[in-house]
Amino acid sequence: MSRNHDRIEELLAVRALGGLDGEDVADLDRMLADHGDCEECRALEAASTATASALAMALDPLEVDPAMPERILADHAAEPEVRDDLAARRDREGPRWLAVAAVAAVVVLVAGSLAVIRNGSDDPPSNPAQRLVTFEGSDTATLAMAFVPGQSGVIFWGEGLPDPGQGQTYEIWMIEDDEPISGGCVSPTDGRVAAYVDADVTTAEQMAVTVEPASCPHDAPTGEIVLSATL
Amino acid sequence: VDLTELSEAQDRRLMAALAAGDEDAFRGLFGRYAPTAKALAMRVVRQPHMAEEIVQEAFLSMWRHPDGYDPSRGTVRAWLMGMVHHRAVDTVRREESQRRRADDASAGLRDEVTDHADDVVEHLQRPQEQRAVRAALAEIPPEQREILERMYFDGDSQTTIAEATGLPLGTVKSRTLLGMRKLRASLEGMER
Repeated sequence: MSRNHDRIEELLAVRALGGLDGEDVADLDRMLADHGDCEECRALEAASTATASALAMALDPLEVDPAMPERILADHAAEPEVRDDLAARRDREGPRWLAVAAVAAVVVLVAGSLAVIRNGSDDPPSNPAQRLVTFEGSDTATLAMAFVPGQSGVIFWGEGLPDPGQGQTYEIWMIEDDEPISGGCVSPTDGRVAAYVDADVTTAEQMAVTVEPASCPHDAPTGEIVLSATL
Repeated sequence: VDLTELSEAQDRRLMAALAAGDEDAFRGLFGRYAPTAKALAMRVVRQPHMAEEIVQEAFLSMWRHPDGYDPSRGTVRAWLMGMVHHRAVDTVRREESQRRRADDASAGLRDEVTDHADDVVEHLQRPQEQRAVRAALAEIPPEQREILERMYFDGDSQTTIAEATGLPLGTVKSRTLLGMRKLRASLEGMER
């Protein structure tokens, strides 16, 4: 073992049971991203989810409406999927595992984005295809996102963000056709956030940030929009 | 090859067929796991209609997005139960139904069996595994078991548990890890 996985194992165990909240959510995502394409991380996650799911087997099975499977098949046939792949990503549980190449791309994006944001520069990003979008809605907080249209992967970086409060977190929303789709949650440390979301926001029209309960993601926002950006 | 491995291999075959659009494969996985999925949802949300809805959402998601299953991240069962559990916990927190469940928050698994006796169906193919998991749970030190059960079956977050018990958050997390390790070791030992 070349890296220490104790902390990751601990947080994965809590997450597998559904108990992870607060800053630990972002901490775990960050550590997993730092580890990149980490075989041991995947093994630890698989072990945690398998153990957690075994708990369900302790329960006595309950009878399910026998018509349900046919209803699901019929409903699906009658109403074919209209949501795009952003919605599909929302349905997947847990963070994406970053390929080494993706991590490298992220580092490049972050470096370019930070320079532009910190300097307030109008200089174009180092990657000509890259888009840098700043959020509006706060006089004190700065939040920006960088992405390459048509590619999956968005970097969020911000500072001056107030603590969302005990048991709460910031949730990022991608809005398309008035449908908000969660892009995940971030919790600031000393007002700063740096997060990677494995999503293609090319088709999104707006981005928004709300304060939500720490359990994440949610199907729809419940809090007021504190920051927003038009793409 | 033990029964668990055979069962997982069958799940993977069904999942591959489902991903190819095989409705019978969907029905097969539904038959294998929907009753347990409903028990899990029911245990967390404690409302039959809500539990049924959660099961339907999870299986619909599985049917629509089979590519969400990544074999490198666990078994089909773990993925499916994870979807159900995630939805149930999300629902119970959103609905603030902890308040409704406060009176019986301390109820254990055996109480749950009694509570829903009318809904209990025959244990078809997994009574041995059920006994094994219950035995493994019983082997975990009570202070660790309580945290595992509160998180998984009651939908409590680590912060909620720390506040309710007065334990430092770090202790809640470390007990969770120790309990999960113990549970996994016990289950692996029983499989051999």
